[in-house]
Amino acid sequence: MNDMNFTDEKLNLYIDEQLDTDEMHLIHDAMSKDSSLRERICQLKTVRELVGIAYQSPPAPERPRQQRLHRATLAWRGIAASLVLGLGVMLGWGTYELNPLRTDGSAAADAFRFYAEQAAVDHNERKIILHISTDDIGAVKAALDEADTLIASYRKANAALKMDIITNKNGINLLRADVSPYVDRIETMVHDNNVSIYACERSIMKAEQREGRKMVFLPETVTSKSAIELIPERLKQGWVYIKV
Amino acid sequence: MNLVQNLLAAHNLKQAFADRRNKLYRVAYSWCHSAALADDLVQETMLKALKNAGSLRNTATLDTWLYRIMLNCWHDHLRVQGRHVELFDVSDDKIPEHHETYQQVQIVDRVRDAVARLPMSLREVVTLADFAGFSYAEIAEIVDIPIGTVMSRLFRARKNLKEQLLDLGNDESMPVRLKRVK
Repeated sequence: MNDMNFTDEKLNLYIDEQLDTDEMHLIHDAMSKDSSLRERICQLKTVRELVGIAYQSPPAPERPRQQRLHRATLAWRGIAASLVLGLGVMLGWGTYELNPLRTDGSAAADAFRFYAEQAAVDHNERKIILHISTDDIGAVKAALDEADTLIASYRKANAALKMDIITNKNGINLLRADVSPYVDRIETMVHDNNVSIYACERSIMKAEQREGRKMVFLPETVTSKSAIELIPERLKQGWVYIKV
Repeated sequence: MNLVQNLLAAHNLKQAFADRRNKLYRVAYSWCHSAALADDLVQETMLKALKNAGSLRNTATLDTWLYRIMLNCWHDHLRVQGRHVELFDVSDDKIPEHHETYQQVQIVDRVRDAVARLPMSLREVVTLADFAGFSYAEIAEIVDIPIGTVMSRLFRARKNLKEQLLDLGNDESMPVRLKRVK
């Protein structure tokens, strides 16, 4: 059989084994008798294989490995924590009232245990970052409600909990003594519940430039670091990250 | 499925993503020919995949789903850059690995240059088929085109590459070097 009976389109399908068995056999048989057909097929296969080897060892990204891993870790943990939070909210934070440390009860507690294992949290003390970057009243209220529920349930279980509320962007307004609607509530959390509060240094600087005046924060607010420094620092130490 | 099972499933999924990371990177690189950009694309793909893990109904289609996300990220990038023109810049990444011979590096460079000269739509399909090893049906799913279009693009891509790489009678071709390729 003359090899011209087979178009290149057909031969492409042949090398990719996309033809039915009869056609595969037909071309296979023809190839054994026709050197020019063999050569055409060989060339197509060569092209395919060249593409295959051309990208086996691409150059590594230029960014330093450490930096990339760090960013990836942060992102993974952030997403995972968001997933945990989402599922927790979906099932209802009320389950925390049972006992956050029990092994066979609360699904939400199990969720935290799972995440704690993932993040290598010290099991003797739960450490949680609550990251707030918005001043949306609804979102902030929900976040504080969740924080209160967590604190109450851990206290009820007589388990240690350390919580850092880290704010940036518009979230810093939550900690402003002159504008926050939650001043008393946050003061209580700080004084009674081992909660620390942070306002991102960079966000403060930008906001002050925007507003043209100095901002006043609750006296316990730490304002000397940026959120981008604080959060990775804690993640490295195994804190659980919850983004509001 | 209870919460713990959900979380375990999420953990397994995350592991599955991690297992595929290197290959995703290599395919991304074959599209953009920039190590930094390929890394960003993979990173973005991973994040989007985790975020939208709920939309993955069937784990058997995980690969096509992931590559589709990455292709969308790549197209988004091109849109943002405002350029659907071809990327020719492959010169930054030609430092050979220690285990590669000079000749192999030459072949690899030449093939990458040839692939970089393909129109983007052909480049995507040919790398998904010939490097990533997807079937026509899977490529159709990833790129969201009919199988007939996959065949046609693949045919045109290989024809173009054959002309660039194999045509005899051209001093710039590499018939001798090809003997080393199995």
